[in-house]
Amino acid sequence: MIGFVLRRFGQLLPVLLLASIGIWAMIFAVPGGPIGMLVGENATPEAIAAAEKQFGLDRPAVVQYLDWLWNALQGNFGMSIHGREPVLHLIGQRLPATLHLAVAATIVSLLIGIPVAILSALKPGSWIDRVLSAWSALALGVPTFWLGILLILLFAVELHWLPSASGYVPIWEDPLAALRNLALPALTLGVYVSGILARFLRASLVGELRADYVRTARSKGLPERQVVGTHIMRNALLPFVTIVGLMMANFIGGAVVTEAVFTYPGLGRLLIQAISTRDYPLIQGCIVVILVLYIGINMAVDVLYAYIDPRIEYS
Amino acid sequence: MKLLHSTRSVLQRLLRSPGSALALLFLLGITLAAILADFLPLNPYAQKLVNALNGPSAANWFGTDEVGRDILARVVFGARTSLLTAAGAVAIAAVIGVPIGLVAGFFGGWRDATLMRFVDVLLALPAILFAMAMIAVLGRSQVAALIAVGITGIPSFARITRAQVLSLRRRDFVTAVEAFGGSSAYNMFRTILPNSWSPIFVQIVVLCSVAILLEAALSFLGVGVAPPTPSWGEMLRTGKSYLHEAPYYAVLPGIVLTLTILSFDTIGRALAGILENRSEVVTPAKVGGTP
Repeated sequence: MIGFVLRRFGQLLPVLLLASIGIWAMIFAVPGGPIGMLVGENATPEAIAAAEKQFGLDRPAVVQYLDWLWNALQGNFGMSIHGREPVLHLIGQRLPATLHLAVAATIVSLLIGIPVAILSALKPGSWIDRVLSAWSALALGVPTFWLGILLILLFAVELHWLPSASGYVPIWEDPLAALRNLALPALTLGVYVSGILARFLRASLVGELRADYVRTARSKGLPERQVVGTHIMRNALLPFVTIVGLMMANFIGGAVVTEAVFTYPGLGRLLIQAISTRDYPLIQGCIVVILVLYIGINMAVDVLYAYIDPRIEYS
Repeated sequence: MKLLHSTRSVLQRLLRSPGSALALLFLLGITLAAILADFLPLNPYAQKLVNALNGPSAANWFGTDEVGRDILARVVFGARTSLLTAAGAVAIAAVIGVPIGLVAGFFGGWRDATLMRFVDVLLALPAILFAMAMIAVLGRSQVAALIAVGITGIPSFARITRAQVLSLRRRDFVTAVEAFGGSSAYNMFRTILPNSWSPIFVQIVVLCSVAILLEAALSFLGVGVAPPTPSWGEMLRTGKSYLHEAPYYAVLPGIVLTLTILSFDTIGRALAGILENRSEVVTPAKVGGTP
């Protein structure tokens, strides 16, 4: 088991290393290079030389990269240029909001995706299957930012039920306000992902329905509800775990657009702000944190999958 | 050549399904509008402040925006931006991704391992984030958006081509070329590639929908195509500020954008069914990102 985890990590190492080089090298895209960022584009040659010495920019690139990597591994991405605060501190402020949204969106997507998949898998080719397949296609095809706008128009502008801009309220402080703020962004993201979930789960359910053990269970005279509810679901949900995990991982970094629609103060919006103000240390920090979470969750899902499905061997 | 030969029968089978026929018709209309935009009586830049935020009318079918420009004109010219960016992005993805997949699958070994590691790096970040990081480096422009979206599409082409090569690699007609002393390059590009067109072609269509979605998302975030160039994502971004006064501003361009994405997706799916008997298509950018 531990060997499996280590091997999986070993496979990821080159990916992480390459990605870290790419992220580190971004700094050289600033007009005037990293030095221009520190002293401004119109600095005198003396000021540039002094700053180069002070920040170690006159050292060989490899040394600079290793230095950056070493600091990054300790969570030190430097100071935000515009925020004048440590990058990690800024990210830490936004992370809880993003996690709230990720969890809420996952719940919404499961609540929509699982019933849709079961209903359409039970009678493949029937009208209900076709309607629900069309729904999945629609859920996937409608851009989240447009869906978000439509939801704002309906629930905020017309009905005045929910706020059009969502703030972050920790759920343990004021559950009602937190839910009111999360409802629309979570619905927007959740609908989109329910389309993916429904497709995957339907395919895997249809496959399971043809299996021998299902025929056995039916010929034993088990009620259909029990055949589907306990026998099939248990098997069909296995691959599903991977997808749900992938989705969770995606919500953390990929909710950028949804966060922008609802001006939700998550990690994604921090990244957009960083890009529009060309705050490179902040951009690097955001991307590294999102990447690490994304890969970490993916790995956790792999391991979990191998753990709950005894048919998968660790070797 | 086989592809050209059967184009007619594929088209006939596509048109047999009402959904694909409608999608094809819609895309044809959008493409024609984008190409002929200059000859239509539409001006996407003409401002008329007295007309700002007027609802749909006989003169302005889609209404006017915050500076009195015709929204329909901007949607039509926006189609040009969207389709051009998507076409360029898909071309970049295919031109880089397909040879990567060919070489990785054909030679295997260290070349396979190295190339696919690079592909993994591209997949390690959600597509939208990767594109944003690229734009942070390249600066904001249509070309930057095109390149960024294109690079995120490389992995899907590399993987699909590689899988195809692996399934063909040991087939008799490939070993025969080797036995006759045909070079590896000849074998890859003249023997294997022509037999791999259908999954690649399906992926091209599917990726068009992904690329349009991504480009619109980038513009919506304000990092894509820079104004005043009309783009659908940018229109939704601005329209969002006028939801109370002018709901049609964000709704109508959104309908066109959504129909375009759905049309490409519908046709990609139908082609996958016709050309390869698949019902599912791989959309890594979609699974890998949530635009």
